[in-house]
Amino acid sequence: MSASTFEKVMLIVLSILTLLISSLLLVILATVFIKGLPALHSGFLTEASKDFGRAGGIFYQMVGTLILMSGAVLVSLPVALGSVIYQTQYLKSKKAKEFCRQSAQMLNATPTILFGLVGYLFFGVYLETGVSWVTGSLILAVMILPTLQISIREAIEALPEQYKDTGMSLGLSQWNQIKTIILPQSYYGIITGVLLGLARAAGETAAIMFAATTFSGVQFPESFSDPIPTLQTHMLVLTQEAANPHAIAQAWGAGGVLLALVFFMTFIAWILRSKLKMESEL
Amino acid sequence: MMWIFAGLNFIFLASAVGLFFFLVLESYPILKLQGFDFWLGQDWWVGESYGALPMLYGSFFVTALACILVLPLALAVALFTSEFLSSSYRRFVKAILELLAGVPGIIYGLLGVSFLSLWIKNIFGLLDGNTLMTAGCLLSIMILPTVLTLSEDAMHAVPAEYRENALGLGLSKWQAAISVVLPQALPGIVGAVLLGIGRAMGETIAVMLVVGSLDRIPDPWFNIFTSAQTIPSKLGREAAEAIGEGTHWSALMALGLTLFLMVFLITLLGNHFLKRVHTS
Repeated sequence: MSASTFEKVMLIVLSILTLLISSLLLVILATVFIKGLPALHSGFLTEASKDFGRAGGIFYQMVGTLILMSGAVLVSLPVALGSVIYQTQYLKSKKAKEFCRQSAQMLNATPTILFGLVGYLFFGVYLETGVSWVTGSLILAVMILPTLQISIREAIEALPEQYKDTGMSLGLSQWNQIKTIILPQSYYGIITGVLLGLARAAGETAAIMFAATTFSGVQFPESFSDPIPTLQTHMLVLTQEAANPHAIAQAWGAGGVLLALVFFMTFIAWILRSKLKMESEL
Repeated sequence: MMWIFAGLNFIFLASAVGLFFFLVLESYPILKLQGFDFWLGQDWWVGESYGALPMLYGSFFVTALACILVLPLALAVALFTSEFLSSSYRRFVKAILELLAGVPGIIYGLLGVSFLSLWIKNIFGLLDGNTLMTAGCLLSIMILPTVLTLSEDAMHAVPAEYRENALGLGLSKWQAAISVVLPQALPGIVGAVLLGIGRAMGETIAVMLVVGSLDRIPDPWFNIFTSAQTIPSKLGREAAEAIGEGTHWSALMALGLTLFLMVFLITLLGNHFLKRVHTS
């Protein structure tokens, strides 16, 4: 075999592999939706689950996931925004900046189950929030903090130097610059961060499975100390009943909804990100 | 106003440092009780002794397996995407990888339980499809997007002049990719793999569902078709029983601390390699 035929063969092999990897997403999507189909009926999204999750719908699980996600972002956003503004606008020392950046990277890489363990101990036991949706939201808030920070930081650092110079030459105070220039101009970055954070919180199971969620018994939290059902926990419990086809079908159905939720938010984040790029190129 | 921002930044730093601090604090009782035997012991009997070796072994083994399985595939596809695809196709592949990276772990777990463990059981004629091999395969699929997209970035970041020079010297595009781009991108590839390893080590849900959850070292040690346990899967299985107090909880937190330190070192090293990509 000559060198050039060898190269051609290799290129064909590589292109087939690339095609296979690219179709992996489609395979996963198709599997989830085909397998989930038996569970789908008109009330799947609007009914409560019945018979320990083996029948009925997933309404309260969906609500639970949404509550945890939004709670997490509500807590995380001010902290992420404030810390990034402090790091980019006020902090002068290079070393301190680098330390903050490293800490964010570490937090991002930390195995999520550790957030569950330590978070339960700190919030649940020391702050006495117990096994509840509040604990879950707080745990997820810490977990998605780096995700939000990265997007916000990117947006703020992409702002042209002239904006700040102009603000300073007009005699604006640091706080006025932040209020009238930096926050409005990095708007898209903030929203992108929020959406990616929501998507990450929605997909997380390990961090909340023993600290915030419950499988059955509770439908809608009536107080701050109630646990909450979520799509993730619902799937986890049903998955372990692999012998029961009804349970597995319900798990796939819940998985389809969860996947749709995560992808929906990622898509909107992408659209906003491309808008941001176009604006910065103007 | 500055103080409010400083305070918020402090909350962020405190949660990062606090995480580590609490892990150390909570694992202190068991480490004081058992010392180094905690990591060397092979028996985990709640109430009697706590030995972390089977979990450590499982974590290393599963991660190594995932790494070996993912590496050739990820590098081949990264090379093709970076060197031979037009920029619009490249963006398409990158977008798919970003979506794949966002697929929740529990979905991979469900796929593993419903397909992968059954396949492995049938192909290799096993009694139980929940093995080290199953967890390794599943993990390799899960870390593929991370390893692939980061190593593709590293290859794409190799300056265009290098390729032009290689082509000018009469090398073919393939030869330039193999003998110029690949070696130049090596630090970035190493970084990508390290970050992938960090990911694999900490994955809980998917591994917990397919690894079999048996606290013992396989016999013989290289038998990948037996059930075992990893650190995160152990934590996931037992944290709910032990929650909050006692020696059992302290032992679990010490496992968590061990996991944290391993992932910390690997990620630090990985980021160090990746930083060289951006500055050079």
